[in-house]
Amino acid sequence: MAVVTERPEGPIALVGELVADRAGGWDLAGVLPVELLRELGAGGVLCAEVEAAYGGLGLTSRLNGELTACTGTLCGSVRSVMTSQGMAAWAVRRLGDRAQREDYLPRLTGGALAAVAFSEPDAGSDLSAMTTRIHRDGDAVVVDGGKVWVTGARYADLIVVFGRCGDGGAAVVVPAGTPGLTVRPVPDPLGCRAAGHAEIGLDSVRLPAGTLLGGAGQSLPLLVTSALSYGRISVAWGCVGILRGCLSAAAGHAGSRRQFGKPLAEHQLVARLLAELVVAEQTATRVCEHASDCWDAGSAELVIATVLAKHVSAGNAARGAASAVQVLASAAARDGHPVARAYRDAKLMEIIEGSSELCQLMLARHVLETV
Amino acid sequence: MTAETGRAAESTDDVEQAVQRFLAARTRTTWEPDRDLFTGGGLSSLFAMELVVHLEQTFGVVIAGTDLRLDNFRTVHAMTALVRRLRAGGGGD
Repeated sequence: MAVVTERPEGPIALVGELVADRAGGWDLAGVLPVELLRELGAGGVLCAEVEAAYGGLGLTSRLNGELTACTGTLCGSVRSVMTSQGMAAWAVRRLGDRAQREDYLPRLTGGALAAVAFSEPDAGSDLSAMTTRIHRDGDAVVVDGGKVWVTGARYADLIVVFGRCGDGGAAVVVPAGTPGLTVRPVPDPLGCRAAGHAEIGLDSVRLPAGTLLGGAGQSLPLLVTSALSYGRISVAWGCVGILRGCLSAAAGHAGSRRQFGKPLAEHQLVARLLAELVVAEQTATRVCEHASDCWDAGSAELVIATVLAKHVSAGNAARGAASAVQVLASAAARDGHPVARAYRDAKLMEIIEGSSELCQLMLARHVLETV
Repeated sequence: MTAETGRAAESTDDVEQAVQRFLAARTRTTWEPDRDLFTGGGLSSLFAMELVVHLEQTFGVVIAGTDLRLDNFRTVHAMTALVRRLRAGGGGD
């Protein structure tokens, strides 16, 4: 397994330097220092695939995946903000026109923070139930509705809001502080506790027409699928990071702690947990690498490969983190410990950006369409 | 399966046939040029995104912004028209 992988060393070092060993404290406090996020943003690492022409690092999906995994090992909350910022930038690149790309992307690589709002109280996986409405009113657009579990919204300067628009769907970029926009942090989330999840209210929020990404009349499911695909590959790599952190902690503990006259790792039932962890980490890495290679090749397979990568990696991370807690036992059985944090964060990864069950339905449908 | 279609497909017929070949390989069904993939054909929005990426890769176009309408991908004819328009420089932005 000593394959030498190319890594974006500069961006990884920046994240390592700024996050260091502070993630446990942020998790306990339930909040990230916003200045640190701005510094990461200005370094381009929060949406690292944005082209250099817009101030970005221009990383491939594969290299951004390695960066995302390294971030995910250190701090699931920072990695969640990275996923949101990257998804916002991707939505602008994909749905916006040239003027919007030139307006928004340099801000997203210059220290401004962004979030993306999909879910509503009665519309999670079921987009057809989405009720947030975006409508034109002369030279303006008006947004009405509400969103829940918007990752990073607490810190965001810009929130990309998806909604119904005419017969189709649209996305609109809502700046923080716009009259009619309210942001209420979710108290005490199960995992990624410092990621700034919030509920947002949109009460007759009035914006210039230039905030409407790509105009209107597009397919809401197609827009959301496009944005979520970026989110899914990002979450998948974040799960690889969780697994790497858990593997390292479990191996360190099992190799050093002695019971019954020998290291834990020499007790076969514990050794099996280590084997299962490395299998989980390696299989997640391989499916993520494959999906990212599909993105970098522009292959249509990227769509289903990304769903597969998200599903495999999230499930592996949830099971792997549970195994790591089992190996470390009482040593990790308290909030603030990296493995306890990984355990809570990983469970959330089976829920966001398409639950495991929704991923399975998409995979099953793909089978029916193709086999 | 994208390599065989290539970027050389120039005429409307070539584009149409390339799209039909992709659909046939991907769905194991043949598609008449006017058959609705989504309403009558039962294909998903995930599949629509595959079509976006496939057309971009095969024909060297960028499908973004206002062109991300399901109607552009609803039939072989619609996709052929979209590709021809984008190749002629008529992008949605």
